[in-house]
Amino acid sequence: MTDKIASNWTKADDAMVENAIRRGATRRELMQMLLAGGMAAAAGGSVLGRATAAVAQTPTSGGHLKAAGWSSSTADTLDPAKASLSTDYVRCCAFYNRLTFIDKSGTPQMELAESIDTKDAKVWTIKLRKGVTFHSGKTLSSADVVYSLKRHLDPAVGSKVNSIAKQISEVKPVDDLTVEVTLANPNADLPTILGTHHFMIIADGTTDFSKANGTGAFVCQTFEPGVRSVGVRNQNYWKSQKAHLDSFEFFAIPEDSARVNALLSGDIQLAASINPRSIRLVENQPGVVLSKSNSGGYTDLNMRLDMAPGDKQGFVEGVKLLLNREQIKNSALRGLAEVANDQPVPPSSPYFNTELKPRAFDPDKAKALFQKAGVLGQAIPVVASDAASSSIDMAVVLQQAGAGIGMNFDVKRVPSDGYWSNYWLKAPVHFGNINPRPTPDILFSLLYTSSAPWNESQYKSEKFDRMLVESRGLLDHAKRKQIYGEMQAMISNEAGTAIPVWIANVDAISSKLKGLEPNPLGGMMGYAFAEYVWLTA
Amino acid sequence: MMTRAIPLPLHYRINIVGLLALCVILFWTMVALFASQLAPHGVGEIVDLDYFGPMSRQFPVGTDYLGRDMLSRILFGARYTVGISLASVTIACVTGVTLGMAAAVTGGWFDTALSRFLDALNSIPSKLFGLVVVAGVGSSIPVLILTMAVIYTPGSYRFARALAVNVNTMDFITVARARGEGVPYIIGSEILPNIIGPVFADVGLRFVFIVLLLSGLSFLGLGVQPPDADWGALVRENISGLPFGAPAVMFPSIAIASLTISVNLLIDNLPKKTRDRSA
Amino acid sequence: MNSFVWSLVGGRVLVAVFTLLVVSFTVFCATAILPGDVAEVLLGQAATPEAVAGLRAAMHLNDPALLRFVRWLAGLASGDLGKSYANNMQVAQLIGPRLLNSLKLAGITTLFSVPIALALGIAAAILRGSVFDRALTFLTIAVISVPEFMVATTAVLLFAVHLKWLPALSFAREATSFWDLLRIYAMPVITLAFVISAQMIRMTRAAMIETLDTPYVEMARLKGASPTRIVLRHALPNALGPIVNAVALSLSYLLGGVIIVETIFNYPGIAKLMVDAVSTRDLPLIQSCAMIFCLVYLLLITVADVIAILSNPRLRR
Repeated sequence: MTDKIASNWTKADDAMVENAIRRGATRRELMQMLLAGGMAAAAGGSVLGRATAAVAQTPTSGGHLKAAGWSSSTADTLDPAKASLSTDYVRCCAFYNRLTFIDKSGTPQMELAESIDTKDAKVWTIKLRKGVTFHSGKTLSSADVVYSLKRHLDPAVGSKVNSIAKQISEVKPVDDLTVEVTLANPNADLPTILGTHHFMIIADGTTDFSKANGTGAFVCQTFEPGVRSVGVRNQNYWKSQKAHLDSFEFFAIPEDSARVNALLSGDIQLAASINPRSIRLVENQPGVVLSKSNSGGYTDLNMRLDMAPGDKQGFVEGVKLLLNREQIKNSALRGLAEVANDQPVPPSSPYFNTELKPRAFDPDKAKALFQKAGVLGQAIPVVASDAASSSIDMAVVLQQAGAGIGMNFDVKRVPSDGYWSNYWLKAPVHFGNINPRPTPDILFSLLYTSSAPWNESQYKSEKFDRMLVESRGLLDHAKRKQIYGEMQAMISNEAGTAIPVWIANVDAISSKLKGLEPNPLGGMMGYAFAEYVWLTA
Repeated sequence: MMTRAIPLPLHYRINIVGLLALCVILFWTMVALFASQLAPHGVGEIVDLDYFGPMSRQFPVGTDYLGRDMLSRILFGARYTVGISLASVTIACVTGVTLGMAAAVTGGWFDTALSRFLDALNSIPSKLFGLVVVAGVGSSIPVLILTMAVIYTPGSYRFARALAVNVNTMDFITVARARGEGVPYIIGSEILPNIIGPVFADVGLRFVFIVLLLSGLSFLGLGVQPPDADWGALVRENISGLPFGAPAVMFPSIAIASLTISVNLLIDNLPKKTRDRSA
Repeated sequence: MNSFVWSLVGGRVLVAVFTLLVVSFTVFCATAILPGDVAEVLLGQAATPEAVAGLRAAMHLNDPALLRFVRWLAGLASGDLGKSYANNMQVAQLIGPRLLNSLKLAGITTLFSVPIALALGIAAAILRGSVFDRALTFLTIAVISVPEFMVATTAVLLFAVHLKWLPALSFAREATSFWDLLRIYAMPVITLAFVISAQMIRMTRAAMIETLDTPYVEMARLKGASPTRIVLRHALPNALGPIVNAVALSLSYLLGGVIIVETIFNYPGIAKLMVDAVSTRDLPLIQSCAMIFCLVYLLLITVADVIAILSNPRLRR
């Protein structure tokens, strides 16, 4: 979150806004009040956010929360290694714990681990908290951590993070509460990696995931895949602050407007991930608050560099110049986005290269490049799908810009069903959708190295690969930042992935629901809201 | 009973409701044919910075969720909704009704085999069917038309057969058989005129279903490709404008309703030539 | 009931078994044709070739597809629907509660809409050409020409968001009283009734008009029979065949075709289950759902055929 606050804004002003909120002023009235005071809209939103949070700082205990995500299916799982939909993440965060927890600034904080130490970023010693118990009553020990980490390496488990876990070459218990992890190559980001959702800690030997036996703030009461899950407060939770809610229920309402309507009618108190075109519905409603987080997820246009037309010199650059980023931000996403510069590290990251400016919309230059590449006038199929959010609208924006300079982009809408296995990474020009990741290292190694499993444009650069390995072992932040900055420039200029905007995530919540904060791991407080939120009367 | 074979005086008069319905259908057909001349803007052109814009002089029926001119989108959409739906419904009903009558008249193993085959076809979930078609044959307008025809043929067949079986037991059919008439003559001249009313009513309904299915298939990736969209898809993509009554969701709905209601009213009020046997 | 009907029903049962086999094989082939398998779908964006291969081996997906199909059939013969690929639960356990939900919704909708639709259709036929008839035609077509998701969304907006009379979501299990039950089912049932009634009303009207025009009804009228008697004793039995077929076709929609209603009202039924199964390529689940849809459809049309035959003396040979 990099909202700038007006410099002349004082604590007294904050107090004034807080008072206005207590009186029950609507968001619109408040914004008008702030704008009248000469404040920029973005900064106003931020002040408002702080003030709202200040009013609602005393949590109350009790109540039953009903929250709805956007997708759920029979493939829903309680196995953290297999988690893939938002519903899975929400369940895992409520029923299990990770060794570390990534806070709103993106910094890993200790959770089940008491400390994680290393001398060389290669051999790590993890000390566990004492007296943590699973829901079954079993006490947490190093065996559980060893089991939880090692299973990501077993192909039969089908772990989603198998490719990341592969850098772990050895995990062994030192004593009952100490684990030693050895990496194949040094990686200073291990504590952050261990804070991602798939690395939840389960009890040693667990193979049956019809029930969740974790250490989390909630005990799983009901789990019906594709229908709903219910969790009740874990009375033996190891943290001194137990969950505020008595219980919560989570399910999915895939239809966007149906989800909003359920919130407006009071059937649910949290509607996750609101489509930009529904924003107008909720922003002026009494009793509804929007929680916006710009966490670094994006939808990108991938032009494979090993296939026509992406292999023609100038084509990729032409498309990057022809993408009208402002129009995508304003029309397709209704302003709930930030213009991006064709590389995957988000502005909220401490490693973000601020000197790398987004390309301006320049159809004339694009036309010249297409002419040089010899593709002007050819029909270029562009594969888009509802599976990659907003991709169809982005494709239409590109198509229109193309029509203006005699470029014919032939938009092919394909089914969401099977998109990731049939079209993504395969079609010459297609859209992808990348969820936020906590570190540049994860982004680069998943998406841009020569051996990256999801190298969307088949970008190959030995220099890039070398730089990544080099930076991994560096514990010096400034040095790392400089290398990462250079790598961002390389991706922006050389790779075939056009990243037009960062898509903001907007959750709509009832004004009775308090305590929800943005988190870099995604919406709904990085899916971990259940433990931290509370309901007021 | 034999009186029905005597040619009756023909009535070509169409009543006012039927005439109105016909005009609406012709209007939309014209729109479909001349959409590119009539539309003030391109179908995918973003012309409004706002979204779900209200009706204004510049945008007579407002703008959609992206800020595109709704009037142009509806005019272009007419090509798909009118054209594709008419083609599909014609194929589905001609096939279904012909086979249904043939099965009723022929009977025996032909009837049994065909009926059970079409029952089985109707039992296959249409989403699965649609996906298999996209995966197997790819997506194009002819494929789309045929897919919808295949989906709606079994229903048309079943209804026509049920009607024809009843007529088939009548004496005049027995007489025609005794005269040595073949199956094509019996179904064309004896059965069809006697079931044409309900058959047409069925065609009208199937037309409505197909208009709506079209948008469903577009979302499976089978069919109309962006930036073009059929009317059903226009309603769907703008549904979030419904709570504040955005014209972007109202007008495509009105367009669909005007077309489908007209088709059905026209069918109900067809010239009595083929339908009036008691006069 | 006579022996002809019984032999028809008996024959149909045999044919039904055969039809089920054919459908199940077709569905199996269709699933096999679809690109991607359950291992790829489950891994989604994380589907590296290596990870897919590992998961495939672990799930026994490398066995020949036909062998897996035969295995599933053998299991079915002994009453075992198999285990879902996607989450390793028993298919019967997954389907059970959701089928029950679907049947409840379908049952209530049927009880509510069939009598009303038939009565309206018959009334329209008798009053053919009247203002009532024209208005009914206009309304029925207007109602079905509005896409289902719009009817449902409008209903939610009106009754749940603005008036706050009814809940926006329908979880069948949470009903504690009859009144609750009524509130929960009101919107899905009305939406579905809108969708299926039109076909029944229109077909009933058309079939009735056809029979009301026949010489024998004319004869009855000339003999001075009362209008009610003409309709119920002379016309209706002869129009019953097409009418019950239209009703059967409409009702068959209530199980597998209600995906939009299930989605918008968040009603956990079997249509959504089938759609999920198709997108995860979960063969045992797809097969089981398809079998249920097929069975219900066959049951409905067989009942329709039997009623058609019983109602027409000339067919009762």
